[in-house]
Amino acid sequence: MSGGITRGRLTEERKAWRKNHPHGFVARPETSSDGTVNLMVWHCLIPGKSNTDWEGGYYPLTMHFSEDYPSKPPKCKFPPNFFHPNIYPSGTVCLSILSEDSGWRPAITVKQVLVGIQDLLDQPNPSDPAQTDGYQLFMQQPEEYKRRVRQQAKQYPSPV
Amino acid sequence: MDNSNDEFEPLFDYTRVQPVPVICLEDDLDGTPVFGPKKRRISGTADEKKQDVKEIDCDGKEEEAEEEDWLPPPPKNLDTNTKSICEDSTLKALRLERQELASFAKSADDVVRAVEESVRKDLSASLQSSPKSVAKQPVEPQCERAKLVISIQDKDGLKQFRVYMDDKFERLFKIYAEKSKLDVKNLVFCFDGDKVNPDQTPNSLGMEENDILEVHVKSS
Repeated sequence: MSGGITRGRLTEERKAWRKNHPHGFVARPETSSDGTVNLMVWHCLIPGKSNTDWEGGYYPLTMHFSEDYPSKPPKCKFPPNFFHPNIYPSGTVCLSILSEDSGWRPAITVKQVLVGIQDLLDQPNPSDPAQTDGYQLFMQQPEEYKRRVRQQAKQYPSPV
Repeated sequence: MDNSNDEFEPLFDYTRVQPVPVICLEDDLDGTPVFGPKKRRISGTADEKKQDVKEIDCDGKEEEAEEEDWLPPPPKNLDTNTKSICEDSTLKALRLERQELASFAKSADDVVRAVEESVRKDLSASLQSSPKSVAKQPVEPQCERAKLVISIQDKDGLKQFRVYMDDKFERLFKIYAEKSKLDVKNLVFCFDGDKVNPDQTPNSLGMEENDILEVHVKSS
């Protein structure tokens, strides 16, 4: 029953995304080599905002939807050891709207999640650290933090 | 007094309901299909907030070309001979139609069965062919080449273009570059995160109505 709701919603999300999405973003369900589509895992790209240290980077993010979506939020993961105060060493994004107990609402769309994460990149939340490296540099050595962010942007160049 | 029964019966006797709309359906099947061109106009307007969306026809002929899309060209002048033949044939056609209708009335059940069968056939046919764009294809070829509207998105907004499903992107890229006064060599077009080559077509990418191509300007 809920599986039907989950897939129906994800189908709608995908349809809406194809017709309209912010420039530079990519979000598409996983396709295996034999062509079957797995709606439960989406591979995304989030562009760094222009006029920030994140500019020029296209950061790969994977969204994992559970059978309880949209009652429960998707789990969003950058590659492991992604440099950012609010990203866990595993790559999992720590963001209020992605937390089942605080900000998540079933009406939040894939687009809103991705734009929310793009905002988070340049505006870390120091009251909710998820890794020591990024957090400490952000708090104590802003210059070094900037350098690391720019370096990371070069690691993820435009895919085209 | 015997009549009283008969008087009440018709109110709820559903077997007497004539399948009128079914006959209409049958008519449609005989004629040429009407979908296709009109649909895309509706879907074009239905979208939420496209501020400066312009629709550009890649025929280059703009408005006139649009009309021609679904209006057959006006018939050339007919001389009187052919006219009378036409009238004869329409009379014949009318007579045939009347006979058909009469037979329909006799065997409404047969019609229902036939329609059901054809629908079932259509359904299974569309189920068998692969789900996405291919399902649409069998309907279109009768009305020239199939077209669709593609949005090209840059950092500032969307522009819409009408292109042939089987036309190489090369042409669209050129037209876009001309309209936006950019060198096509500095433009990279992406669909769903993948670079689009000039020799690909909307068909080969499985594109659907109003899908977005993103354009990136190379920084060099």
